[in-house]
Amino acid sequence: MRERNVMLLHYATGLAILLFGGIHIWTLFFTYPFQGTIWETTMRFDSMPYAILPVYRNTLLALSLLGLLVSTTIHAFNGLRIILAELIGKRNIWIERGLFAIGAFLVIYGTRTILIAHMLV
Amino acid sequence: MSQRVRWSTALQNLKTMLIPGKYGLERWSYTLQRVSGVVVSLYFIAHVLETGSFVGGVTVWAIPDYDFAERAYREAVSFLKNPIFDAGLAVIGLLVVFHTINGVRLVLAHFGLVLGSPRRREILETPASFSNRQRALFWLSISLAIFAMLYTLDALMGVFRP
Amino acid sequence: MEAVRFRVHRFRPEDGHRGSFREYQVPKKKGMTVLDGLIYIKENLDPTLSVRYSCRMAICGSCGMRVNGMEVLACNTQIVELEKKVITVEPMKNYPLIKDIVVDMSEFFVKQKNLKTWLIRKDVVEQENPTRQYAQTEEELEKILQFTYCIQCGLCYSACPVVSNLPQFLGPQALMKLYRYLADNRDEGEDRLAAVDKFEGVWRCHFAGSCSTVCPKGVDPALAIQLLRRAALK
Repeated sequence: MRERNVMLLHYATGLAILLFGGIHIWTLFFTYPFQGTIWETTMRFDSMPYAILPVYRNTLLALSLLGLLVSTTIHAFNGLRIILAELIGKRNIWIERGLFAIGAFLVIYGTRTILIAHMLV
Repeated sequence: MSQRVRWSTALQNLKTMLIPGKYGLERWSYTLQRVSGVVVSLYFIAHVLETGSFVGGVTVWAIPDYDFAERAYREAVSFLKNPIFDAGLAVIGLLVVFHTINGVRLVLAHFGLVLGSPRRREILETPASFSNRQRALFWLSISLAIFAMLYTLDALMGVFRP
Repeated sequence: MEAVRFRVHRFRPEDGHRGSFREYQVPKKKGMTVLDGLIYIKENLDPTLSVRYSCRMAICGSCGMRVNGMEVLACNTQIVELEKKVITVEPMKNYPLIKDIVVDMSEFFVKQKNLKTWLIRKDVVEQENPTRQYAQTEEELEKILQFTYCIQCGLCYSACPVVSNLPQFLGPQALMKLYRYLADNRDEGEDRLAAVDKFEGVWRCHFAGSCSTVCPKGVDPALAIQLLRRAALK
């Protein structure tokens, strides 16, 4: 992959995080309390045993969470790749492969969490 | 090129990244963007692992039965109910908002949009890349980040509520 | 007469890896620059001190060094305007040290040369023996004029945090010079952008702005690199 496309991907995922992360925070505001704190509201264990938040039980919101997970992973691990290369003063193929492996694990594990929490599997 | 990592070089490079020196505002933006990016990345990894534990950890790959789900959920909640984590979330809110707005500023700068244009200039004039629009966006990111931190403290811990 | 204390970095390659600082008392004179102080030391106090300088008027770009932690041209820095009792003189960073405050700048020049920073025309015969004038309009000139003032003193290369961390990075000066020829409407060089579209190329600039802060000629390399990046992103 050319470095130009990596950079464009970095910008695109950054702007995608702005969108999906905004939705992610906005869903928390649905439950913003006027008495008590957000902790007591979001962490309440109602009759919904699997869904963490009642408002999250929505396939579109699950998809937006998935988008947030994937774009944040790409953005974060590309950033870490650049910072680590500048930290040790050269590119190291094993560091880049290791970062890719951790990122792939995070996407798979997070996708599983999203699917279970929204009762989609 | 050898693949060996020299620790003395890494330490020296870390110092260059973390100490802005007297080089001005943009150098501070470089350092802060870097630090906030790394800290938020670590938080993101922790967040994915932590939300995974809400549905029962690594061993669960399908919807579990009700009793197991309730127990896993209560364990995760009791682990997270800790004022240190709440204070940490306020710091994360600060860093996320700073990184976001400053990131938008950097994207605009990288596309040459908020910078001045090349022109005839005197030696002691401010460089066109240090334009007022670009610096205003930096200060906007700082102020919104501080606002976000106070808001998070209020939302999570009720600091500013009687 | 009032004196000023110079803490000068001393290093001899045969002494080992680390240099040390030696102090000198230099009498202050009106209009005295840091370079004048160093020349006074060399003439009267310590003839073994090595300094590289030539024109003494900020034209040649030979006397780049770090004075009190900032990259400056020593001939362009008045002792009075530093407002310090002690003046610390160090060599520039990111270059191999030769002696005292003299550094080896060959890599800096090689990086610039590899980018072919000169005017390239398809018609070489015409370029060598032009038959007419190739005039530019005022607008076309303003796009590149600021960047032509670069004197290759290497201060930006020393201040850049990315060059310090990633030695293969091309550096602010080479990228700025490439943009100067890319933006020139008389230039017909091909693949100018392909030369910087790699990991160590233009993408490693993080807009830390240190190059524009230290530039003694008002060139603003940070602006040129962002404009180069915009051209490469299109």
